[in-house]
Formats: sequence, structure tokens, C-alpha cells
Amino acid sequence: MAIRVTLDRILLDRRMSLTDLSEKVGVTLANLSILKTGKAKAIRFSTLNALCRVLDCQPGEILSFEPSEDDALDEAADQAAE
Amino acid sequence: MKALGKGSIASIVRVGLTIAWYVLWVAAVCVLVGAISYGVVLTLIANGSIDPALLQGGAGNADLGEQGGGNFHVTYDQPGGGTWPVVVPALLIAGVVVAGSLIIVWRLRKLFDSFSSGEPFQRENATHLRVIWITMLAIEVSRYVLLALTGILLARFGGPDVDANYQLAIDFSTWGSILILIVLAEVFREGARLKEEQELTI
Repeated sequence: MAIRVTLDRILLDRRMSLTDLSEKVGVTLANLSILKTGKAKAIRFSTLNALCRVLDCQPGEILSFEPSEDDALDEAADQAAE
Repeated sequence: MKALGKGSIASIVRVGLTIAWYVLWVAAVCVLVGAISYGVVLTLIANGSIDPALLQGGAGNADLGEQGGGNFHVTYDQPGGGTWPVVVPALLIAGVVVAGSLIIVWRLRKLFDSFSSGEPFQRENATHLRVIWITMLAIEVSRYVLLALTGILLARFGGPDVDANYQLAIDFSTWGSILILIVLAEVFREGARLKEEQELTI
């Protein structure tokens, strides 16, 4: 997946544990763990909103885009189609 | 009455499938015992212990296929139907039907296990449905092949006493069922994918 979740870095900056975040955001620890480890398939706006509110940050600080080989192939396919 | 979960229609069907599973195993044992017994009889005839006339009998009639039906349908009027060109294809047909039915019922049992537990959209269920339609396809194709083989064997080795009547019919309901199962398998695959995605949506 080209989208990376950088929750661990922000938590480190804020000196906050995942358990604390779970309690403040109202998302289970298991689900936050899935999000942190990059196993999540999607994130709801409501969850993102709660995370940004509690961590006092922008969505871009939690999520980052790192192009993968698949993205390069998709881009090449799109250009070929055009 | 609910369709899925405990005490549902699915759980009742599951009981029926369990009964069918044991009945099919009895049928499989019968086919196996029949095949072994026939092999023993043929060996004894080859040794000269039994008179070959025992299997020949008088004139017989073989009906291959079934008009408008989809099942293997090979019937022989005894006497005349005990010779190997008649019995061996019949045993093969019985073997294919019983083995195919065992595979289908086993997969259906797995399918209805998950229906009874209330979780129908699983990747394994899509695989079970796929195996069921492939098995149905294999049985249907085997039907044509084995009926043709029986016809050829009867024509070449049947002898003058065995008269064969051929009635090969394409069963559209079976082909329709196969097509529906193909679509259903894909629906379950997509359903399982959506469920996984929903579970991994935070």
C-alpha cells in the first residue's frame, strides 16, 4: 500500500501511548493497532477527525503517500491508455 | 423462521446433508463391493471355475441415457447384461456419480456449517461453491463421455444378445445450475472481500 500511517511517530512526539489514544479517541486498542501497523484497508473520516482532534495535528501528519512499484505501473498504463 | 444462524433453515438443511453424506458412503461401499465382486467373478471365469454362460444369459436390452433427463441412466434387462461391456461402464458411471456426489455433499456441509454459524461471507465459501460447480461440470461431461464409451463397447463387444438403445439428451437444468453456481461463487468472493474490507476499516 502506498499510503503509510505514521501514527507511531506522532505518538512518540506527543509522548502518548496507544492505550491513552484509544481511550481518548474511543477506538478500540485492537483497531488502533491495525491502523498503526498499516494493516487497515480504510479509515473513516470520523476516526480521522477524532485522531486529529486528540493529537492536535493535520491528517497529512498521520498519513503519507509513498509511491510503490504498482503505482508506477498504473501510471504507465494510464499514460499508454491516453 | 430465519435463514441463517442457529435454529435456522440452514441448520435443518445441514442435518439433511449429514444424512445424505452417510447414505452416499453406504452407496460408495456398495459400488466398491460390486466392482470387487464382479472382478472376482471375471477372474473365476478366466480360471474356468465358473461357466461364462452365467453372465451371457439370453437376449437382453440396454437403455442408455434418459430422454429429457439429466441423470446417468443405464438400465439393462437381464439376462444379457452381465457381460463386461455392459457392467464395467455401469460401474464407472456409478463410481463417478457417487464420488462426485460425495464431493458436492461434503462441500455443501462445509457451506451450511458456516451458514448455520451466521457468517456466510467467507473466502472458503466461495471456494466451496467453485469446487461444487467444477464437480457438477465434471460429472456432466463424464456423463456424455461414459455414455459414448458404453455405446462403443456395446456395439463392439456387446454381442448379438445385447441390444442397445441410445437416448442422449442435453440437460439444460444442470447447465443452468452450473452457470448460477459460477455467478454465486463470484458473489460470495466479492461479499467476502467487502466483509474483510469492512472489518479492516477503522
